[in-house]
Parts: sequence; C-alpha cells; structure tokens
Amino acid sequence: MSTVMKTTRDVKGIGLSIPRPDGPEKVTGQVQYVADLSPRGLLHAKLLRSPHAHARILRIDVSRARALPGVRAVLTAADIPELKRKAPTRAHAVLAIDRVVFAGQPVAAVAADEPAIAEEALDLIDVQYEVLPVSADPLEAMKPGAPPVADAGTEADTSEAQAHGSVAGVTTEAKPAKAVNISQQARIQRGDVAKGFAESDVVIEKTYRVPMVHQGYLEPHAVLAQWDTTGFLTLWSSTQGSFNTRSEVADVLELSENRIKVIPMECGGGFGGKIRALCEPITAILARATGRPVRYVMTRREELEAGMPAPQVIIRLKTGVKRDGTLMAIEGEAVLESGAFSGAVLAVSGVFLASLYLWPSFDVKGFEVLTHKPSIAAYRAPVAPQTIFAIDSQMEQLAKAIGVDPVEFRLRHLQREGDKMANGQPWLSNGGAEVLTRLAEHPLWKKRAEWKASSPKGRLRGTGLSLGGWLGGLQPTGATVRLNPDGSVQVLTGQVDIAGTNIALAQIAATAYGIDVDKVRITTGDTDVAPMTGLSAGSKTIYTVGVAVMEAAKDARNQTLEIAAKELEASVHDLEIDNEKVVVRGVPDKGITLAQIGKKGNLYMSKVQPVLGVSHPAFSQQAPAFCAQLAKIEIDPETGEVTLHDFVVVQDVGKAINPLAIEGQMQGGAVQSLGMALTEALVYDDKARLTNPSLLDYRKLTSADLPNIETIIVEKPSPHGPFGARGVGEPPIVPAPAAIANAIEDATGVRLTELPLTSERIALAIASAT
Amino acid sequence: MRRFELILPESVDDCVRALAQRGPETKLLAGGTDLLPQLKNGLLKPARVIDLSGVARLRAIEPADGQGLRIGSAVTARTLELDNIVRARYLSLAESGALVGSVQVRNLATLGGNLCNAAPSADMAPPLLALDAEAVITGPKGERRVPIAAFFTGVRHTVLAPDELLVELVVPTPAPHSGGNYLRHTPRRELDIAVVGVASQLTLANGVCTKARIALAAVAPVPVRATAAEQSLEGQPVTPDRIARAADLALEVARPISDQRGSAEFRRHLVRVLTRRTLITALARASA
Ligand SMILES: Cc1cc2nc3c(=O)[nH]c(=O)nc-3n(C[C@H](O)[C@H](O)[C@H](O)COP(=O)(O)OP(=O)(O)OC[C@H]3O[C@@H](n4cnc5c(N)ncnc54)[C@H](O)[C@@H]3O)c2cc1C
Repeated sequence: MSTVMKTTRDVKGIGLSIPRPDGPEKVTGQVQYVADLSPRGLLHAKLLRSPHAHARILRIDVSRARALPGVRAVLTAADIPELKRKAPTRAHAVLAIDRVVFAGQPVAAVAADEPAIAEEALDLIDVQYEVLPVSADPLEAMKPGAPPVADAGTEADTSEAQAHGSVAGVTTEAKPAKAVNISQQARIQRGDVAKGFAESDVVIEKTYRVPMVHQGYLEPHAVLAQWDTTGFLTLWSSTQGSFNTRSEVADVLELSENRIKVIPMECGGGFGGKIRALCEPITAILARATGRPVRYVMTRREELEAGMPAPQVIIRLKTGVKRDGTLMAIEGEAVLESGAFSGAVLAVSGVFLASLYLWPSFDVKGFEVLTHKPSIAAYRAPVAPQTIFAIDSQMEQLAKAIGVDPVEFRLRHLQREGDKMANGQPWLSNGGAEVLTRLAEHPLWKKRAEWKASSPKGRLRGTGLSLGGWLGGLQPTGATVRLNPDGSVQVLTGQVDIAGTNIALAQIAATAYGIDVDKVRITTGDTDVAPMTGLSAGSKTIYTVGVAVMEAAKDARNQTLEIAAKELEASVHDLEIDNEKVVVRGVPDKGITLAQIGKKGNLYMSKVQPVLGVSHPAFSQQAPAFCAQLAKIEIDPETGEVTLHDFVVVQDVGKAINPLAIEGQMQGGAVQSLGMALTEALVYDDKARLTNPSLLDYRKLTSADLPNIETIIVEKPSPHGPFGARGVGEPPIVPAPAAIANAIEDATGVRLTELPLTSERIALAIASAT
Repeated sequence: MRRFELILPESVDDCVRALAQRGPETKLLAGGTDLLPQLKNGLLKPARVIDLSGVARLRAIEPADGQGLRIGSAVTARTLELDNIVRARYLSLAESGALVGSVQVRNLATLGGNLCNAAPSADMAPPLLALDAEAVITGPKGERRVPIAAFFTGVRHTVLAPDELLVELVVPTPAPHSGGNYLRHTPRRELDIAVVGVASQLTLANGVCTKARIALAAVAPVPVRATAAEQSLEGQPVTPDRIARAADLALEVARPISDQRGSAEFRRHLVRVLTRRTLITALARASA
C-alpha cells in the first residue's frame, strides 16, 4: 500500500523540512478568524452564566434586558423548544432549564448591536437561585448520598472515546449504581493479584493526582451563525472537525444535516477542546430568533470558567516485584472527574496501567465521576499524561527500591509487538523500546551522576526520564486530487488544519503523484463540498487523511498516465512523470506535459476525461507511537523553584513527512506538559467555584521558564501509515510530568505524587523531610 | 466591558476639577494594567474614566529640594527599572519595578497605579516602605503628605478620598553606606504575582547598623514593616546569626492567608527565607 512512487528525478515532497506557508500571515495578523468576520447586520452574543455550581432556578426576569435599546433578543430555556432534560452532552444543555450544575453554566442569552450593549443587558437579567449542596470533590461525589449532578436517567456519553478511536475491547459500560455520580465504570483483570502481592518482595502503593487543566489554545471558542430565508443554517466555526460539529448541531436543533453547512475557519488551536460543539447551538438559536447573523466569541475568563478542560485524574496504584526485578502484580483504581456531563475516556488509562509493562496479574478499575464543575473534553492524548505520570513514577520507585537501573528495568518489562494488551488485543508494531534506548544513550543521561555532583552550594541538581505514548487513532476519511489545466495539482479534503497538517498532506500528494510540492495546492473544504472526514484529533490526520491523499494522488497519477498512454501510443508501464511531463522511459523527447493533459480535461468538445483521483478509506489498524523525554533540572530547596536546564524529546514518528513541523509538535507538546507538570491547575474552592479564572493565576509556562528543548526523531515505519508515518501530535505531551517528578526525586530525595509540582509543594516537602 | 465616558485632563488642576464632580462612578486610569482587567471582568463598571496620560507632571522624576527625589505617580515600572538615579540610590525600588509583569506590562504599569490599586502583593510598595517614602496627595482642599507606611488602609483601600489624586512620591536619599534589596517569590518566573515580597534596607556606620528597614508584601492586608526585626538589627554589627534572628522576628507581623497563589504555611516559610536573603544582599551593598 505504501510504496514510494518512482521517478527519475527526486521529487520535492515528503521528508523535506518546509515551514508552514500560513506562518507569516498568522504572525502578522492577516489571517481571518471567526472574530474578524463582519457580515452586514452582525449581532453580538453574550451569555449570562450561573455564579453557583449547583442551584435551582426559581425565577428569571428578562423584561428589563429586553427593553434596553440595541438589544435584539434575550432568551432563556423557556424560549427554546428543542431543549430537553437529561441532556447527554454539554451541547444539548444549551441553557439551564431549572437547575444549574456548574458555576459558569449559561442560563440566559442575549444578542445585541454591540458587545457592550449585550453585556449591559446581562446586568439587567434578574435570576433568583436556590443554592443547593455541591459535589466538589470526585472521591466524595462517588459516595452514595452525595449531591447528584445529572438528572436521574441521563445516559453516559462515550462518543469521545469513539472519536479518539483509542482502544477497543475494554468494557466501558454505563452503570447506574447507587452511587449516582458514577457515570461509567470499567474493570480489566487477569491472574491472581493477591497471590502476586503475597509473593512479592517489594510492594509500593501510592496515589497520584492530576488536577483539571485547560488546553490553552490561543483563540477562544468562536462561532458565527446565519440562517437564510429557506431555513438553511451556515456556521463559521473554530472547530477541530466540521462534520462532527454539523452532526452535533443537527442533533441538538433537530435539523437534517443537509440543512446545515459548517465552514471551518482558521482554528487558533484546539488540542481536543474544540472537538465537541459548545457555543454553536445557542448562537444558531439567537440567529434564528433575530433573523440576523450572530457571533459569539468566548472571553478568556469564560474559557477558564466554562470551557471543556481535561478531567482531574486520581490514580491509586499498588505494585509488587520480586527482588530480582520480576514484576508480580498491579492493582489500580483510576477516577476520572468529568464535571457536570459524562464524556471521559476510561480505556486509555486501563490499558497503560495494566499493559504498558508486562504484569502477570492485574486488576484495574476505572470510574467516571460527575461533579458540579464544567464538563471535560479531550486534551492532547487524553488521560495519557496523567496515567503515565502514575505508572512511570511507580516503575521508577520500584527500580530504585530493588536497586536496578531504571532504564533497563523499564526495557526488560516493556510490552513489545505481539504482546497482549489488557483488552486482549496484541500490541502493534511500535518504537517504544527504540526511543527509550536512544534516550539512554544521550550524554545528558550518561552524565547524570556528574550533574548531580556538580550542585552548587544551596542548590540541588537532578535528572529524570520517562517513557510514554499514544495508541493511535482511526476514523474514515476521504480526499480528491485533480489535475488543473496548467498542470498543477489540487487536493481537497474536509480536514481542519490545526497543526500544519496541510503542508504535510501536500508533500504526500507531491510524492505520490510525482510532482514538486510547490505545484500542489491543498484546500480544506466546508461540509457542503469536501469529502466527509473525521476530527483533527487523536494524532490521526496524517495517519488516515494522509492515506486518502496518497491513494487519491496515485489514482490521479494513474489516470494521468492512462491518458498519456493513449496520446503517446505507449504502454502505461513504460511511462513516468518527470519534470511536469509524462515521458516514455528511455525516450526523453517522447512525452506530453501535465498541462497538456490537464487542458484536455477541460476543453469545450474534448473527449478526454478530466483527471480526478478519489480515495475514501476506512481503517482497522492503529499505529502506537512512543516518546521518551529527559529533564535536567536544578532546584532551590528553600523556595522550591525549579530551573529547567535542558529537556530532550526522543520520538518515533514512523516516517518524518515534514521534520520541521514534527519538531514543532515535539516541542509544543513538551511545553504543554511541562506546564502541566510544574504550574498548571484549575483550582476550585469547596463550593466548586474556580479561584483562578485568569492567565495570571492559571499559569501556563512562559518562554522565561523554558529550557532548550532538543528533539530527536526516530523512524520505525508503521505498516499502514502513509510512507510509514505514525501520528506525532499526542506522544510528546505524555512523558514530561513523570520525567520531572523523577528528576525532582533524583535531586532532592523527595517523591511527589500530586501535580502540579509547584515550588510550594517542593519546598514544603523538602522542609518537612529535613 | 461596559461603555463609559472618557475624560482627558492635561494638568493636575484639570484633573482635580474633573474629580470634584466625581462620584463612585468615576475611576482614574494610569497604565490601565490593573483597571482594564477589572473593567473587562465586570468587577468595576464606572460611568466615567479619567485618563491621566496627558498630565506631564505625573510622569516627572525630579530632585526634591534637599530631601531626595520626587517620583511622579505615573512614572512607569520600566522607567524605575532603567533610571540611573533610581538605580544608584534606590536599587530595591528599581528591582521591584523590574519584576513587574513583562516588558510590555512594565511599559504601561505605573508606580501610582501599583500603590493606589493597593493589592497586598504590590511589588513597588515594600521598597518605598523600606526607604521611608512619603506620598504627595492633592484634592479640592489642596495638597497633603502621608508617610507611605500609613497610605494603605486595607485590601484595595488607601487614605485617598474619592476626590483625591496621588501626585508623586518623595523618597529621601539614603545616608552613605546604605544598601537595599527587594526579592519576591512567584510560582512562575515571569508574569506572576508575589506569593511573598520582602524589601530590606540597611545603613551602616563604623561596622554598626544605624538603621534597618524590612517591609513585607502579600502577608497581611497591607504591606507591613517588620519593626521588631528591624530593631533587633539596629545598634550593632550585622552578623549571620542576627540576620537569622531578624528573619524569625519578621514572622511576627506576618498574618498570611491561604489562597490560590500560596498557603499561609508556605508564605510564612518564604518570609524567613526572603528576609534572610534580602538582608544578606543589603548588607553586602551597604558594605561595598
Ligand atoms: C499581566 C500582568 C502582570 C502583572 N504583574 C505584576 C507584578 O509582577 N507585580 C505587581 O505588583 N503588579 C503586577 N500587575 C498589576 C499591575 O500591572 C500593577 O499594579 C501596575 O503598577 C498598575 O499600574 P497601572 O498604571 O497600570 O494602574 P491602573 O490600572 O491604571 O490603575 C490602578 C488603580 O489605581 C488607580 N490610580 C491610578 N493612578 C492613580 C493616581 N495617580 N491617583 C489615584 N488613583 C490612581 C486607578 O483608578 C485604579 O484603581 C500585573 C498586571 C498584569 C495585567
């Protein structure tokens, strides 16, 4: 399937480091985002959000708001006929009906001539609440009798798990137990763990916590909605998947999908937070109510208070080994706090805990728990960094406890291709062992003892590493490739480019067709014109859409050669494309240009078919992708301040289609997870209200905090990806938290198990240890 | 952000006149780095905003005849960070200015805005306390002077009446053989707010400490001086033991709260660490 097309000349396509062509227009502010659109008659939307995490709405009075000049609509749940109880997703819960279930939940919506007028109107809406007790902590929320979050009878939402296509085989059954807030439950078991622990020499039990964190995309959620006179809805949306947005909005509004067009606008980052519909339905409803185009752009504060962050994950792990290093048993319990609506992915955690390493016996349970907080969504490799933080920290401590080299210990037990995952499926070809081995050869790892010994007075130095990855994602997709009358090539997909994937897809098309990449134009079409496609998520754009583009380009190439064969009276097998010309091999002056062929397909009265390559594949085999990371740090033990001196990312990418873009992904992922490791947390009070709703106190790292991030690309080809490529987006966000925790222990002797590893936690832990 | 009327005075007098009609509905705007987020988040909804950027006197740095330096309230943190006279005489103040936000924020953020916003964590307050600065305030009844230590009355509250304006700070010139230092702790290196800030200022004569000032930020509703710690140093040579004791005594005035930036326990821990460190640096600078 994935053979490189042969040409006499090297085609400029895959393997080249090509900067993103959209870079200059982005950094100079030329790109049009949703917030930049200004159709005639545009109205601005604002939402009134609940200050309480759990309350009954006794009364809403919007009369004063409606009377404010410039206000065109003020809506509450009573004005929306499609709204129903037991909303299965956030998108369905357009406005709270009579009960709010998280602080920041919209209760009323305004459309007005100016944003300032809409805001003033919010002040004029009078809502009477009866405040109810909250479930603010997931472990408390699991207990019988905890204040319930969902309406009784609400079904669990497992579409996120499907969207990420992460792992099949783990049973995630929705189970309405006595504990009303447990919305999903799963268990994987093999062997006898009690016996395993009894026969272990060393048993370590620890609980790891990772708080809710926000994806931190630069552009907040934004959408513009407009209906035409026939009742056809157009949405300009900042989305990671226009077809998914269309389906969700159609479902909420009870419309046929062919009554909706979603135009995917330039997306200023998503990282999983822009998969699910969020503000599209209410914006569409406001546009319907006013008969005008309506735009809604969330503020940063709204993003932090009422976006769709990553779940809080609490993992209790108990592991046993023999003194000779033999793994015996693992027992685990992963609690995923999913906020007010279901939708977490349980399976990733289960598979990594039970079967990243080869445990003869395991018993791992997973719970999705609802609380009165904003509901969660995916965040780059959902639940993998949190899970690897737990299992890798545990492996490091086991290696230390029995006095073996931590890299050798991991390598000895790492599951390899063909080994059975916890869900019974075999691990597919992957470079887990390769990336860890490569990192262990790095001078920074080899010289870690010298680094530690070189600590200046009053400082502690250390090094840590970790291994993690992503199982890969799948989703059907499609692409077309056509030949233009001037001999250039045009690729069309519906795939949203959130990571520079379009240039890589163009490179794939170039190589597969046999033309230079600068002769390829690639377009992301809207839902009316583009072949149906999946989400830009789960590291699967190149892995799946890349195949569609490659196959469509090959199809177009074959059609081109067939036309040329007729024209040249030669056999297709003797033809090749060279320098924008189809030539007979060995007879260089016998040929026809691509432009000539392209023109024939578009001439009045021509009998030659236009070249249109098509591919619309579905997939069954994922390509796991691993990443190993190393942190070299220095700590001020009195203040707990961590200085990152160096960071190394080694990643198996299968085949580097665009090495520059991949290095960007590797560094970006590392930066995000270093923030998760050191400073980021959505911090809630005991009333489940967010205490840090600004980027001043929700601390993403800045360039002043970050070290040089070295990237090392390893290429172990995947059997099914285009040219052997694997997904590259998710793996680099996975290992850093564990690597940092391991480095901190190396430097200070203190083991920390709760993220973020803030200066406060480090300083106080050191102070109480001494 | 709500709509408001913008007033652009060109002199201190204009400004006082505009303030005379000031109700609770009017706010002063300097750099706007505190005010604008408050407006955007709906914490404040003023009907009128008086923009001070056209008032030249507020941006001046001038010698105050015989008594040190006058620093206009609208002088930016970036200016304090880079100004040669400020650096030479009041290094701790320059250091505090250099820590505010990022370069972009410092180019807007003003000294007066930092003080009048009256956050317990305001970085530029502790050095001014340690330098015995005075606030010059004007209003319809004329000018008055208030020691900076008495300027703050509570979280986000100062002695300023609604119709008054902070014009400038008068900072006395430290005696020879003086040295100061400001340090703060933040969870992130840049763009962050002090969990604790400490300014120390020492003056030596013949190896003996003649004057010690220690001021703390973010450990009480207002910036506070650690007078017991100061007194423990005065009148004798400054030794490592005395520094350690002063660091312990500094805790006496600290009544920290726990919030999303740090726990009370961590804040107390930091008061000790940072008091010790600033005293060591102040001593070295005074001795140089
Ligand atoms: C990203 C960011 C980072 C920050 N980092 C820091 C930091 O590290 N340390 C720190 O201390 N602060 C920090 N701040 C807060 C802020 O920048 C400072 O407090 C700054 O000095 C405020 O000055 P300003 O001129 O912007 O004040 P403004 O916002 O213009 O005004 C603040 C308040 O003071 C009043 N006011 C202003 N001038 C006068 C006057 N002359 N008379 C009477 N009242 C007046 C205003 O009415 C308003 O209430 C940060 C803010 C941001 C947004």
